[in-house]
Amino acid sequence: MQSVHTDIDKMKKALMRANTRLLLSAVMMFQAAAMALVAFQSGQVNRQALFLAAALPIVTMLATVIMGKIWPVDRAILILALFLCSVGIITLSDIAKADITPRTQAKYALAGICVMFVSAGFIRKWTRWRAFMPALMALCVAALLSPYLPVFGIVKNGARNWVGFGGLSVQPSEFMKPVLIVCLAGGFANRPRFVKCIPSLAFAAVCCGVLLAQRDLGAVLLYFLTTVLMYYAATSNAFISLAGLGMGAGSAVLAYRYIPLVQTRVALWKNPWSDPTNKGLQLVQALIAIGSGGLFGMGLGLGRPRSIPLYYSDFIFAAITEEFGLIFAIGLLTIYVLIILRGLIVAFNARTSFHALTAFGLVVMLGLQTMLIVGGNTKLIPLTGVTLPLVCYGGSSLVSTFFSMGLLLGMSSMNAEDEAKDIERREMNLI
Amino acid sequence: MKELRRGMRLVGYLVVLMFIGLAVWFAMTAYTQGSIWASDVHNTRLAASNTLRGDITDRHGNLLATTAADGSRQYTQDTAARRALSQTVGDIAGMSGVGVETFYSSELMDISTSLLDRLSELFHGAEHIGSSIQLTIDGRLQAYISSKFPKGYSGAVCVMNYRTGEILAMVSRPDYDPYEIMARSDAQVEDTAFLNRCLQGLYTPGSVFKIVTLASAITYDPDVIHQTFDCSGTWDYGGGKVSCANNASHGTVDLKTAFKKSCNTTFGKLAYQLSADGLRATAELFGFNENFKFGDFVVYNSSFPKTLTLSEQVWAGIGQGRVLVTPLHMTMIAAAVANRGTMMKPMLAKKITNSLGVVSAAGQPVVYRQVLSESAASKIAEYMYETVQSGTATRAQIENYAVCGKTGSAEISNDKSVETNAWFTGFVYDDAHPYAISVVIEGGGAGAYMPSELAALSLKTAIKYVG
Repeated sequence: MQSVHTDIDKMKKALMRANTRLLLSAVMMFQAAAMALVAFQSGQVNRQALFLAAALPIVTMLATVIMGKIWPVDRAILILALFLCSVGIITLSDIAKADITPRTQAKYALAGICVMFVSAGFIRKWTRWRAFMPALMALCVAALLSPYLPVFGIVKNGARNWVGFGGLSVQPSEFMKPVLIVCLAGGFANRPRFVKCIPSLAFAAVCCGVLLAQRDLGAVLLYFLTTVLMYYAATSNAFISLAGLGMGAGSAVLAYRYIPLVQTRVALWKNPWSDPTNKGLQLVQALIAIGSGGLFGMGLGLGRPRSIPLYYSDFIFAAITEEFGLIFAIGLLTIYVLIILRGLIVAFNARTSFHALTAFGLVVMLGLQTMLIVGGNTKLIPLTGVTLPLVCYGGSSLVSTFFSMGLLLGMSSMNAEDEAKDIERREMNLI
Repeated sequence: MKELRRGMRLVGYLVVLMFIGLAVWFAMTAYTQGSIWASDVHNTRLAASNTLRGDITDRHGNLLATTAADGSRQYTQDTAARRALSQTVGDIAGMSGVGVETFYSSELMDISTSLLDRLSELFHGAEHIGSSIQLTIDGRLQAYISSKFPKGYSGAVCVMNYRTGEILAMVSRPDYDPYEIMARSDAQVEDTAFLNRCLQGLYTPGSVFKIVTLASAITYDPDVIHQTFDCSGTWDYGGGKVSCANNASHGTVDLKTAFKKSCNTTFGKLAYQLSADGLRATAELFGFNENFKFGDFVVYNSSFPKTLTLSEQVWAGIGQGRVLVTPLHMTMIAAAVANRGTMMKPMLAKKITNSLGVVSAAGQPVVYRQVLSESAASKIAEYMYETVQSGTATRAQIENYAVCGKTGSAEISNDKSVETNAWFTGFVYDDAHPYAISVVIEGGGAGAYMPSELAALSLKTAIKYVG
């Protein structure tokens, strides 16, 4: 009896390792090689890059092995997330050529990995989620309103969406993304009728309203689309979902009419070359950077993406395309798709609709966010200031996304355990 | 749970599909547009790269722009000539949006060469030299016309070879000095100096449009030339009044006299006789409302109203109302009359030669369209000849050459509070010197004076310089 159980357990674990060992080594080699290239590029050895050349693969391996030892998580998601994060650090250390940027980003990443462990453990233990819903919703709205606090609120790039404490400034709209998803998953769990969804929908509407008032247009769009898609998946109520989309489109038209910032963004999207040295500078330089990169890129450290003023945040995708080339950029998009597909599998295999919807919401938001910023970088849609998940410079976004990844990984380990129990039960029945 | 999974699967597929769409779109645009984006003048990588921008020369091979040994971009030495050529040649700061430096950036940089070439250049550290472009412009002629342009006025002069479509000069006032722009970012430049008015200036044509009205009338009713008209200075078409310049009465006139004296009432009546669609059809045949794509430069589209009230129809007949035209297009119209009714495709690039000496594009004359019958064209040319001989354009005469032309004084306000824009458009009727010209002087008053004089000087010099 006992021996059968342990055998199956061993087999499952061995299978998981075998599947991901190749991926893990490939990622580690990429990290080490790329950072070494940066370190030895100029005559003087870049010590920080050399340190990172060792640190990145070690941290990646430790995080993967330790988390895999504690819980049977989906290691592919974990490794790919760590890969994306290291692409961000590599690009920054190469293009920034300033010591502070990659180091801070690496620190944020380390903090994010710790947070990921905490959130993975948390979601596994958190069974009494229903009782916390009202409190979580209140917390979310309060946090989103916090930039209005007289002393702490900060306005950046035309949006009042930052809060500062001492030397640290954080973006509540980033941290509230997983909270919003958990709240909506709780509200939409167990296929409720429309009336029962109203509080959750109203909550989401309030969040969007607050963000719109702060002119954080990207976050508004992200919160709104995620809400509609989660509602549709949870209830299959096409009528209400389409009505919601229609309301969104109407609000977009109104926003275009009454908010000058929206008009500027749309005008620059239509023709960035109308003002190539001032307002259209970012997008023009981003397109020039993409064009200069070509298929294979200018080469790590040989590009000049610094001519895009926001090369490290809003336009990091254009910077990566310049350095690594079009093919690599498409590959990067593919990795997001892989994470989304693995995340959807977590959602499909979840045992409760709350967990299924949480996992689903997390990957849908990840996908939408990636598409919004990549589309904005490449002139497919007007630019909205959302971050490229895990890659883009910025602590709030990175830590928050790692928190989301932790939730996803925690749920994947719950699924694996549930499946193992199922198999065990079948074995028992057979015997 | 089953239904939840179905919903999630549907949305999940949607998200993945959107991703694929995004990736495909991104790859396609970056692959097809990439070299165009990369060769933009605002690309700071180019300055640092080992690519040397190719030369720009005029039709005689005189350098208009070149890259010096130290990598700096040099333009014509003489300040006045440099200014005269500013919007045509452009500048590496990209201030003149339609200049050759901007429009031909990817050729001048030759950025579209294959990846293998780029790699080998990278390894060998060889300098990459862009293609050189020879323009159809005569630099000396353009500088001369600019020097004779009335001081203190804005406007444009466009000269073209009507047999081949080659553009010989494009003067646009005010102009700017590219060196000033390159030296200081806060250089004081007049607001509209970066515009090339020949290509980007949309003007009310006024009486020069009578060429088109006449063409329409002759095309639809060849007997109209025998008709006589009574002009009493003003004419009430029932809903408004058209009057001749200074309300002068021309008496009983035939069509030729009406044309050479630029009689508004007669041309109002002509437009009135034509069906509303007839005049528009002729205008559109001449290129109005057409999306011009000539391939070697950008020109704004001329417009003729799509729907006309009776009043608008009458006013359109004398080139007023919602009719707008660029000086280049007006030159093309005069050129078509001179070229036996055949409109040639205008041409700015004569030859593009890459660094190995391979000529990748040679300027061959291309027929754009037959817009008039040969007999109608020669009739209109005869009327235009009379206009210069004994009509409103006598100041455009040149000794020993037959000049044909038409003047215009386009109203740009409803109450004559603003001085009219003065026009001359015409050509030399000479097979050895087939030059057509349009002159616009903003607020220049009557077309009979400044523009006609400037046209005569310009054509005379064109004959001398271009040969």
